[in-house]
Amino acid sequence: MKHAALSLDYFALAKEAKALNTSGAAKVIRVALLADCATQHLAEITRAIAARNNVQAEVYEGNYDGVDLEILDPNSALYVLNPQYVVILLSSEKLKAHLYASHDRRGFADETIGRLENLWTAFRAQSQATIIQCTFVLPSERAFGNYELKVAESVGSIFTEINYRLAIKARASKNVLLNDVDFLAASVGRTQWFDARMWNMAKTPCRLEHVPLLAQSLLDTVLAASGMFTKCVVLDLDNTLWGGVIGDDGLEGIALGEFDEGEAFVAFQTFIRELKRRGIILAVVSKNEHAAAVLPFREHPHMVLKEEDISVFVANWDNKADNIRLVQKTLNIGFDSLVFLDDNPFERNIVRQFLPDVVVPDLPEDPSLYLETLAGLNLFETASFSEADLQRADQYREEAQRELTKTHFTNINEYLTSLGMEIRLERFNAFNLPRIAQLIQRSNQFNLMTRRYGEAACEAMMSDPSVAPLTVKLADKFGDYGLISVVLLKDAGSDIEIDEYLMSCRVLQRGVESFTMNTIFSYAARQGAKRVTGHYLPTKKNDMVKGFFKSFGFEKIADGEGGASQWALAVDAYQPREIFMTPVANEL
Amino acid sequence: MEKSEIESRLTPIFRDVFNDDALVVTEGMTATEVPTWDSLSNINMIIAVEKAFGVKFSIKDVRNLKNVGELLDLIKRKAP
Repeated sequence: MKHAALSLDYFALAKEAKALNTSGAAKVIRVALLADCATQHLAEITRAIAARNNVQAEVYEGNYDGVDLEILDPNSALYVLNPQYVVILLSSEKLKAHLYASHDRRGFADETIGRLENLWTAFRAQSQATIIQCTFVLPSERAFGNYELKVAESVGSIFTEINYRLAIKARASKNVLLNDVDFLAASVGRTQWFDARMWNMAKTPCRLEHVPLLAQSLLDTVLAASGMFTKCVVLDLDNTLWGGVIGDDGLEGIALGEFDEGEAFVAFQTFIRELKRRGIILAVVSKNEHAAAVLPFREHPHMVLKEEDISVFVANWDNKADNIRLVQKTLNIGFDSLVFLDDNPFERNIVRQFLPDVVVPDLPEDPSLYLETLAGLNLFETASFSEADLQRADQYREEAQRELTKTHFTNINEYLTSLGMEIRLERFNAFNLPRIAQLIQRSNQFNLMTRRYGEAACEAMMSDPSVAPLTVKLADKFGDYGLISVVLLKDAGSDIEIDEYLMSCRVLQRGVESFTMNTIFSYAARQGAKRVTGHYLPTKKNDMVKGFFKSFGFEKIADGEGGASQWALAVDAYQPREIFMTPVANEL
Repeated sequence: MEKSEIESRLTPIFRDVFNDDALVVTEGMTATEVPTWDSLSNINMIIAVEKAFGVKFSIKDVRNLKNVGELLDLIKRKAP
């Protein structure tokens, strides 16, 4: 579900529940809560969480401890209300009490399973609705300590047996789904889950602060059963599926393998592959050259996901909102059934802004925590599983090959303006030299000449009057990107020559290049230069900038060896580009 | 902690829990005076107070409360 468990504060939700207005809700669901514990808090919170998801939940609460009567009596209020979903929530306290009172411990699991199966059958005879049967929370107290499970008649053993057999029976019952309340309790800690004082005073099934978790879990099941579930996961590549940037770091340079971050990425990919196996379609949307993006899938020994696991593979330099639209159109599924996973907050926010229905969870900085973050959100609920799910990805993959066409819709300018970007164009200084040298060594893709000047050469430029050695820094409302571009300008007679131009790919498509080029040309004009010139020197990795000069209106004036080219543009012929950032420093 | 301080910290909690922005906590106040103070919101109030003041009440503590004044005394006694 879209709302993170962390935002599920009990008191905030209880307050929201009092002022609900769901008249315009996209969906109405009718749920009955049948329980042998108090359900008022749960009902209230369920309504509030449903409303946050634009769903109006009409919650009917059965009589306290009246589960069997409501179901077995065909004239009960339950059948008059005709709900779509019936939750059966039975407390461990009551089950325990029955067990302690039982004279036949060996037969107790049989008896309990028989009772529930009988209820399911009786209900099916009266109603088409779906039963959501909750599992029992294992008690924390153990009369035998660790020996508990060695004894078939211990409370722990009997509870475990009942939960297990409940699952087996549910697999064979078409009208029964399970809600694993014992899993919820275990995930917060069973001793934290249950509050004996609250049970004794008010018969609440768990601590009040965990009621939202229970409500959300029930709603996850209900919404999945009514067709609201994740169908496709859209994946970023660099720093999401592996550590580092494939286009810059190369096959050997990315972190993916048997220890440290590499191991975290392997674990993450393994879970993603498991999602594919259970019928979730995988798509890739990555800012990369296609050839670089597919390389790890084809050749990296530790890559878990293979190319054939990905139904739609989009690697280009377009904005991700457009690319996700392309995925959505190709697969022909709703935006609200897409989950987008990307380590980069800029990309997440652009997708949230332009495609508000897409589920975009925040990922933590450490890839080791990706899985636990996703686990907390329970984004992959389903109400069915069949053979067809196993083959779905392949079917979509074949269709996607035919459908994939490029489209552009997003008006990015307004978004860029809203980022509040601040840019600083500064001359080299001693303080920055290590970072400058590092960027010069590491940038492979957005690098026009790839001259690889060392730190000493950079230092020498600082005192060379014929060179303007420049750095660009960028910050926006999401954070400071630091020093992200290096540009070297040289006086060359009546020309200003761009001797080196490189930029980090993290800040593509913000208009940083436009700002820089505007500034270069106004500098050239002040210097009385006639033209600005520059070279494109191709390497294996800088294909993405081969059209760079042309895009600013430069004319090719010479071809060199190996695809190299020289470009020039008259200073008075340059058309300044629109920019969406505030220059806070300009030392040119 | 002074009773007056407890009282002023209780007011916003009560306003939230009993959904009444005009409510002002007084020592003599009882559940019957607040229309939205039922068994459900009573539990909410107890838990909210425990959380806000970092205290834990026993069942006996809760059952013995006759009015807000006694709640003030209880918090004063238990608060760290």
